[in-house]
Order: sequence, then C-alpha cells, then structure tokens
Amino acid sequence: MDKKGAGLHITVFFCRQLDPNQDVNRRSLERELGERIRFFPLPCSGRIDPLHLMRALESGADKVYLITCPEGACHYREGNIRAKKRIAYTQSLIEEIGLERERLELIVTSAGNPATIDELARGLLAREASIGTSPVKGKQA
Amino acid sequence: MITAERKPISEIKEMIAPYRKVLVVGCGSCVAECAAGGEKEVGLLSSALRMDAKASGKEIAIKEMTLDRQCVYEFIDQLTDVIGQYDVVLSLACGAGVQAVAEVFPKVHIVPALNTTFLGETKEAGLWVENCRGCGDCKLGVFAAVCPVTRCAKGLFNGPCGGSRTDRCEVDPDVPCAWQLIVSRLEDMGRLDLLRKVHPPADWSKQQGKGPRKIYREDQRT
Repeated sequence: MDKKGAGLHITVFFCRQLDPNQDVNRRSLERELGERIRFFPLPCSGRIDPLHLMRALESGADKVYLITCPEGACHYREGNIRAKKRIAYTQSLIEEIGLERERLELIVTSAGNPATIDELARGLLAREASIGTSPVKGKQA
Repeated sequence: MITAERKPISEIKEMIAPYRKVLVVGCGSCVAECAAGGEKEVGLLSSALRMDAKASGKEIAIKEMTLDRQCVYEFIDQLTDVIGQYDVVLSLACGAGVQAVAEVFPKVHIVPALNTTFLGETKEAGLWVENCRGCGDCKLGVFAAVCPVTRCAKGLFNGPCGGSRTDRCEVDPDVPCAWQLIVSRLEDMGRLDLLRKVHPPADWSKQQGKGPRKIYREDQRT
C-alpha cells in the first residue's frame, strides 16, 4: 500500500455481481485494515444514491469508491450508467462545499480482467493517493 | 405541481451564518416530486452543511425533518413542539410553504433553500416542464388541453404564428410548437370547429394587478 494513502479511511461501494464470493473475499482485507476500510455490497451499482456517498464522507471516509461492472455488462442493463450520473452529481455537490471531487471516484471494471473484490480493493489502495485526510474530520483527525 | 430548484450552497450558508442551531425542513409534496425539497434532498443538504461546518471548524447543530406538506396548517403544526429548540428554519418548500410556516411561527426566522420556479408536470425521469401559468381563466377546453399562454413562446390565443419548422417552435427548436399540437389534436378529435372563434386578449386581471389572489369556499370552511 502506498505510504501517502496509508492513513486514509476508505469506503468501497460495489456491485456484488462483480464477485459472487464477495462476502468471503473481502473479510481478509477488513481484518487487515480494520475500521480504515468499509465495504458496502450493492445488488447493482445503480442502487447507489448520492445520499449514500454523502453519508460515507460525513462519517469519516477520506475517499469513497464506487466499483461497477464494465459498461454494457450490467446485470440489470443500465445500473452502471446511472451510477456514473450519481457520482457526477455528488461530485458537484461536494465541490460546492470546497471538497475535492476526487474524494469520490467511479471505478468501471474491465470486461477482460475479472477480479475478486479484495483484489480490486488492493489495487485501488496501491495507487498513489491524490488526496490527503478529509478536512471534514476537522481537528479530531 | 409546483417545481423548484435548490439555491447555491453559498447563498444558503450566508442566510444561516448567524445561527448555530438549524432545523432543515423538507416538504413531501410537489418539491419532493421534482427532487428539490423532499426527505432525500433534506438529507443531502444537511449532510453538505454539516461537512462544510466541520471543515471550517464551525460549531453547528443541524436537525432534519420532513413534513408531508408545508402549506397546510395541520402539517405545519408538527413543528410546534420542536421549533423552539432552533435558531433558524431552513425550509425546502416552495415559496408558499416557506410563507405558510412563517405565518404560523412569526417570531422564528424561516429562510428558503429553494428557488420556486413554475407550475409543471414530470415529463420523464429527471425532466420537468412548465405547462400552466395559473392565469385564472383556463381555456384548455378550447385548445385541446394544450395551453398556448404557457407553451407557445409568443403566448398566442389565435395561432399559429407560421414560424414553426418541422413541428418545432422557431424560438426554441427543442420545444414542440404548441399550436401544431393544438391543431393536430383537434383534427384527431374532429373538433377543428373550435378554432373558428377569434379569441380576445387574455384577461390578465384574473392573474395579476390586484395583489395576492384568494379562493374562498364557504362550503369548505368549518
């Protein structure tokens, strides 16, 4: 895991169609990182609501990911397209209060590269962090 | 339905800046339907305001509440037991709702979080269009349920103007020509005879010029 992102609290919303064994596969990462990572499996990424994303940031997440199926491969046809629009809407909303839009990120998986949810999350955690601790945490951070 | 849009958060912050305890109140009727002031939007705005305050190191308490309607006393009364605990009410109702709440609680500062826009319909998911001006003299029966006052850019009672192109308005090609719709529908109904009459200009005194309008029904009163 990259040092810059080592202390960040991450919330991962994801479509559970991506990994049929997500319930088991995410446990090792949850044990490893404790409260620094929170997974929220969704029946489809289209279930995401801007309110989920806002509450995640308000609850202390420094970075929130939404992982969707590849475009054109949504189990429910258009869920991942709606997810993209909701991320964009929420990014505009947080920008109005001075938060960086990068705190919310949509990850569209690749059709040719299936992975388990823990592999996907480890890949995200290994990336160089583009943001630091959220200013929303104030002085308690 | 009355439609509205949220004000910029910077404007909302300015209005509530002097206060520390804020009651954010949504309305579950029209403005919920147009995704501007319902329970979900109350949550989004409250969350944003709380995060903004924390990031700026400000102490602020924000409580969320949504009434079924903010323009009817029986629903507004649900605020009676709680409103005293707050310095300000941030209302996500239309202008009528904001004023109705202020009328019931004249000593409390009630501020609007929305800009009320128009009377309209939900055309499709995420699209609301204006189709009524509330002119007080409805002529939809003559015009095949298409309001030329609202939906014709020129507000013509005796159209069409002749400027439409391929059924679209010459003023805004995104909008269907209201008069094309009127003629087509009346033709389909076999009622083109309704267009033989020349209509005098609208009587705008029924909408404006006499202060706020009022509807009084003795049979509805208690």
